[in-house]
Amino acid sequence: MSDSLEAKLERFLLARHPGARRVKMISLERSTEGFSQETFSFEVEIDDEKGLTSRRGFVAKRAPVAGLLEPYDLEPEFRVLKALSDDPLPSPPTPWFEADPAVLERPFYVMERLPGEVPIPAAQPDGQGPLDPATRSALTPQVVAALARLHAIDWRARGLGFLGAPRRGREAALRELSRWQARIEAARLPVAPVMQEALGWLRRHAPATDEATLVHGDFRLGNWLVEKSPEGVRLSGLLDWEMVHLGDPLEDVAWCSSLLWRAGSPLASGLVPPSEFYALYAEASGRAVDPERLRFYELLSLVKMSAIMLTGIRAFRDGRTPDLRMAIFDHQLPFLMAAVAMLRGWLPAPAE
Amino acid sequence: MLIPPEQLIDGCVRTLLETVLPGIESRFARGQLYAVADVLRNLRDRVEEKAAPLELEAQSLRDSLERAAGVLRASGDTAAYDVGLRIENSLAAVPAAPLAACLGALHTVMTSTLEALDGIAEDVVQGAKAALGGHFAAQAVRELMLLKPSLLSEISKG
Repeated sequence: MSDSLEAKLERFLLARHPGARRVKMISLERSTEGFSQETFSFEVEIDDEKGLTSRRGFVAKRAPVAGLLEPYDLEPEFRVLKALSDDPLPSPPTPWFEADPAVLERPFYVMERLPGEVPIPAAQPDGQGPLDPATRSALTPQVVAALARLHAIDWRARGLGFLGAPRRGREAALRELSRWQARIEAARLPVAPVMQEALGWLRRHAPATDEATLVHGDFRLGNWLVEKSPEGVRLSGLLDWEMVHLGDPLEDVAWCSSLLWRAGSPLASGLVPPSEFYALYAEASGRAVDPERLRFYELLSLVKMSAIMLTGIRAFRDGRTPDLRMAIFDHQLPFLMAAVAMLRGWLPAPAE
Repeated sequence: MLIPPEQLIDGCVRTLLETVLPGIESRFARGQLYAVADVLRNLRDRVEEKAAPLELEAQSLRDSLERAAGVLRASGDTAAYDVGLRIENSLAAVPAAPLAACLGALHTVMTSTLEALDGIAEDVVQGAKAALGGHFAAQAVRELMLLKPSLLSEISKG
């Protein structure tokens, strides 16, 4: 029996389709979207017990040998995705997780492939943002509604308490700060003065919150599937749930509107000005966007990205990954530090 | 740079030979790719990070800290005066060489200065903040001048 990736996935899917006579791989491609987990998009033909053939598209996410969010544990995000599979939120239905490394060398899960394309958070060659005005106006209300819906999910009823709810007060903020600060320290690389100062500021100004919601952790342009058809523009999928946790919902709001994802524009995730995004979210969620909490999470977003970049650089330096995409962080990091200096008031911020 | 140049070159060679080469069918293109790998492999032991940008950064750090110390000492505020004095004492202890040690020490002085300023009234530290901001702005411009146009949209294209 062949040991190719195709053959292994065929065997895996055959075992999960009781009665199926055959599963045949039609196409398999490794995606370059997402810098963290290994993502394989594939299409199969499945012959059922009556001899009828159907085509299905899937995506497999596999833990990398080393990467930006190591150490990897795919099971929590799989459990979240599986729990949300019947929710109106456009998360990919995700039926299977396999922890046994004998199957595909490392743990992985398989989800259904959703239609659409992922707009990349980068300016176009002409300097314009990645989304045209018509797409922006169609997509914005759907994005805001999805975020409000995500934060309204009853995570207790869905059995997601295993993610660990923070207590009321400052624990949500302090826990996230500790999580990312620990990653920065684990990278054992020089940390810029503005980042050191920012970490201290965040520790002293961690805000309190009296609610804990599901937090996607990476909700932003680049993780949205967008389907364009004659009927219009549709948000067809929310991707990359590997940083999902329970916490302050404003963490997602700040991340989505962060300087990180403006894509050469002054717009939150290339959609609308940040102040408009906050107002739309407040209206859709019925939740006040507290400026002090937002300020904390805006800065934490840059700390988080810095931790991710430093982890990738460390993995590359140690020779644990040959992925050159980790190395490009080395020349991007100075600009992240300039953004930190801006948010902390050491540099003037651009007008909105 | 957090990754040494020779390690970046090794990474490029490895990617070319292990990831790119198997996908190239043209014999000529394969030959060119081997030539690139050959050039890079022979370059790796002849290059090192340029000292000039690091020297500029160190000078800029020192200048801005000295200016901030002067402003703080002249502010008439006791706490600010003490911070100014501490900065001057710390700068006096920064080694002139080697460059990496000098930069590391200057970064430490900058970190403690930023942290100290956060505890003093805004109107008192405004001038010092402007002095330090001058360094951050100049450093951002220097980094920007070295940066080539981003290829991220191609790197991450699905």
